[in-house]
Amino acid sequence: MKRFFKRNSAGYMFLLPWLLGFCLLALGPILASLYLSFTRYDMVSAPRWDGLGNYEYMLQKDRRYWKALGVTFQYVFLAVPLRLAMALGVAMLLDKGLRSMGLYRAIFYLPSLLGASIAIAILWREMFGIDGVVNQILATVGIEGIGWITTPETSIYTMVILAMWQFGSPMLIFLAGLRGIPRDLYEAADIDGTSRGRMFWCITLPMLAPVVFFNVVLQTIEAFKTFTSAFIISNGTGGPADSLLFYTVYLFNEAFKFFRMGYASALAWVLLIIIGIFTAIAFATSKYWVHYENDRD
Amino acid sequence: MKTIATDPAISQQAEQNARVARELKLRQKKRERQARFLKHIFLILVSFVMLYPLLWVTAASLKPEDEIFGSLGLWPSSFQWSNYSDGWNALPVSFSVFYINSAIVTVLSVIGNLISCSFAAYAFARLEFSGKTFLFGLMMMTMMIPYHVVLIPQYVLFLNLGWVDTYLPLVVPRFLAADGFFIFLMVQFFRQIPRELDEAAMIDGCSPFKVYWAVIMPLSLPAMATAAIFSLIWVWEDFLAPLIYINDINSYTVPLALRLFVDQEGQSAYGQMFAMSVLSLVPVLLFFMVFQKLIIRGIATSGMK
Amino acid sequence: MAQLSLRNICKSYGDIAIIKALDLEIIDGEFLVLVGPSGCGKSTLLRMIAGIEEITDGTLSIDGQVVNDLPASKRELSMVFQSYALYPHMSVRKNLAFGLQNLKMPRKEIDSRVTEVARVLQIEPLLDRKPRQLSGGQKQRVAIGRSIVREPKLFLFDEPLSNLDAELRVQMRAELAALYQRLKTTMVYVTHDQVEAMTLASRIVVLRAGKIEQLGTPVELYTKPANLFVAGFIGSPKMNKLAAKVAELDGTVTAQLADFPDLEIHAPEQAGKDITVCVRPEDLEIGSGEYQAEGSIKLLEYLGGETLIHLDLDSGQSLLIQDSTKNQHSTGQRISIGFNMTDLHFFDRAGLRFECGQAATA
Repeated sequence: MKRFFKRNSAGYMFLLPWLLGFCLLALGPILASLYLSFTRYDMVSAPRWDGLGNYEYMLQKDRRYWKALGVTFQYVFLAVPLRLAMALGVAMLLDKGLRSMGLYRAIFYLPSLLGASIAIAILWREMFGIDGVVNQILATVGIEGIGWITTPETSIYTMVILAMWQFGSPMLIFLAGLRGIPRDLYEAADIDGTSRGRMFWCITLPMLAPVVFFNVVLQTIEAFKTFTSAFIISNGTGGPADSLLFYTVYLFNEAFKFFRMGYASALAWVLLIIIGIFTAIAFATSKYWVHYENDRD
Repeated sequence: MKTIATDPAISQQAEQNARVARELKLRQKKRERQARFLKHIFLILVSFVMLYPLLWVTAASLKPEDEIFGSLGLWPSSFQWSNYSDGWNALPVSFSVFYINSAIVTVLSVIGNLISCSFAAYAFARLEFSGKTFLFGLMMMTMMIPYHVVLIPQYVLFLNLGWVDTYLPLVVPRFLAADGFFIFLMVQFFRQIPRELDEAAMIDGCSPFKVYWAVIMPLSLPAMATAAIFSLIWVWEDFLAPLIYINDINSYTVPLALRLFVDQEGQSAYGQMFAMSVLSLVPVLLFFMVFQKLIIRGIATSGMK
Repeated sequence: MAQLSLRNICKSYGDIAIIKALDLEIIDGEFLVLVGPSGCGKSTLLRMIAGIEEITDGTLSIDGQVVNDLPASKRELSMVFQSYALYPHMSVRKNLAFGLQNLKMPRKEIDSRVTEVARVLQIEPLLDRKPRQLSGGQKQRVAIGRSIVREPKLFLFDEPLSNLDAELRVQMRAELAALYQRLKTTMVYVTHDQVEAMTLASRIVVLRAGKIEQLGTPVELYTKPANLFVAGFIGSPKMNKLAAKVAELDGTVTAQLADFPDLEIHAPEQAGKDITVCVRPEDLEIGSGEYQAEGSIKLLEYLGGETLIHLDLDSGQSLLIQDSTKNQHSTGQRISIGFNMTDLHFFDRAGLRFECGQAATA
């Protein structure tokens, strides 16, 4: 026993803050959340056991839940591919070693830093409003704009555009990945008579697969977690006719507006499961299309 | 002993060939220049689109009220600097209070992050202990957990501790290495420092803490700086946590104040609202401009496994 | 089969000129080796021939046609890279087939060519493996295979054996020589290793700082190096250099060395000048020779079949002797060392070779 301490004490001492944090702020709450999801809890009185009541309601009776799920999935499946496509496209443009590449890189990255801020969300709401600058610009080419945010059919697209505006972060990662592809592979392919297009499909993309995978997983998880911009743009309500009712916004309102903590916990757990399933699928399929340079078979 | 053909007929042919080659090359250079020019034009356009929202909001913060949504041009007809001074004091509490609040929370959070995350990263990267791989895996998984899952129990916990309406729920988790991302960033960095340095220090009689303090930390300043900057920016912009935990307007951080501003004055004082929005972005912009290289390198290296 | 003609080739990066006004004719079917120290421009020259490096000035012609502007993909040549440049995510089979697919060749023909090449290079069992599962030598064979399979008219090799360990290098050298015998296609080979150059080449180009120092067969370079640099570069162990002064007395011209007797030479134009006399370590004899001197042994390097003797002469100069006689010597021992006139190489003050000798061969 003493030997165990001697060998491990240093490690555990340094790890102590994290261990404490993990138990109190992660593990504990996750388990508590699970427990609460089976209860009805309004913060005033103690939690009352309810069994699967919350889940039944969620999956069978709660129309708004399915709406929230739909909105969130629609956003994820639009925003992530578009954002990654832009990131990859611009990264490939910048990769050719232009002068002032550093400047472009910085400019393109800046929105990613600011994107989660409330100021940007406010700005976006006003830009896409009926009197907003977007409509003003459209007017100059003769298109009459509508209230993009106040119209339920189009509001989600303003969020997608906001996501695309922030392509800088995955772009940087793609740039680093592109730089990691040895130049002599392209030279060998050139001498072998390969066209540019074939070089992209047969060399660049496969070599970039680990980076693409990383970005896809990361960006998707981030997309599921979107909150601040959706909250502000929809003014905390989930938008006109729930068109911006992101899962996280719905959850937040259930918890802190209506104080249905038990139900909110159930919502939270289902979100966790969704993200978990998605990540598992991504990892499982990665074997087939991702090649890692340094694996030893 | 060179092997130039001295036959005059062949030399003449060679001359002609050289001329042809030079012409072809000039044409190719011209094409390349055109292509590069087009690329630059495209990139400049994209840059403009990317920066346009920021340009617009700055312009809008200085335009007279009717011009904000009225005219398309970016240049204000007259500069309404008053938007800034009026907006600063428009709420019952002056923005100076909000800025100070945000600063307090941010500075404390950054310090907490740097200390706790570097401790954990040092343990994962350099120390041996049973269960290390398992715990590391757990740490990586925590990065996937959406805040909303732990939000409610954490709230209940902090409520019972009586910490609601203080800064403690915002700052204390940072001292407990709650941000896995920074641990990961630092681990990647530490792994690049040669182990021999640690070993040499240990042979010289240093305890693990001494190695941490005297060897690893001084060599990790770039990673620490990167973590500090990201930490700073993210805490400064954080909205959800302050939203739940802070109710007293005197304790509001800048994002909360901004939202209150929108709720209270939103429809009537756009200019001021934009002015305050711009001001809330200024610290982030400043940090970005100063530490740009570090930030970009940090993203790139943490992204690669 | 390809005949290459390089005329007045210049290459510069910005203001820095790497290669200035280089002329070279590469004969159809020969194995030409470009050899020289690091930074001499040999790889740059090869890459310009390949088309992956731009030619700043001058013309490159293949089979009479100026190809400066022709992209690498259209030059019908192939190249083996130092790092092999195998596509890591493709199997060996796919690596070999990749270039042929660009030519839109029918599937059957691609398959038969790939199998044939795999058989020749003995890599059939590896066809379904990925590059990361191969050893260095195997990767090298696949890289060679990829270049063969397209049946190009010109092969280029950029230091292909540099990344292999010594033993493997010897083996691969023999295989490359055998390959050349088999294919008889023009090959241009870059290396910094003069042993590879001497053993593989039909002709060698010695490059230094972007200039051709000498072009000739291995025999020519060994027996008649054109200048001091080539003399010191070709041949292992390195050539010995002795300082000498030429004096003329009553019509007789002699080269006066510090330790050895004066040499009578027929080179009146060198009278009064400093020259360098060179002799190869393997041409020095212990205890015999037309001209002899004494020295003490500083260091012995025993290699089994021969011994390398580092000898300090009384003047302070030193000689390296390659002794295959299997006689025992010891450090500090004084011995007598000698050479014959026919073994000597003479270089003037500028380092250029000049001929002289007892039989009047100018």
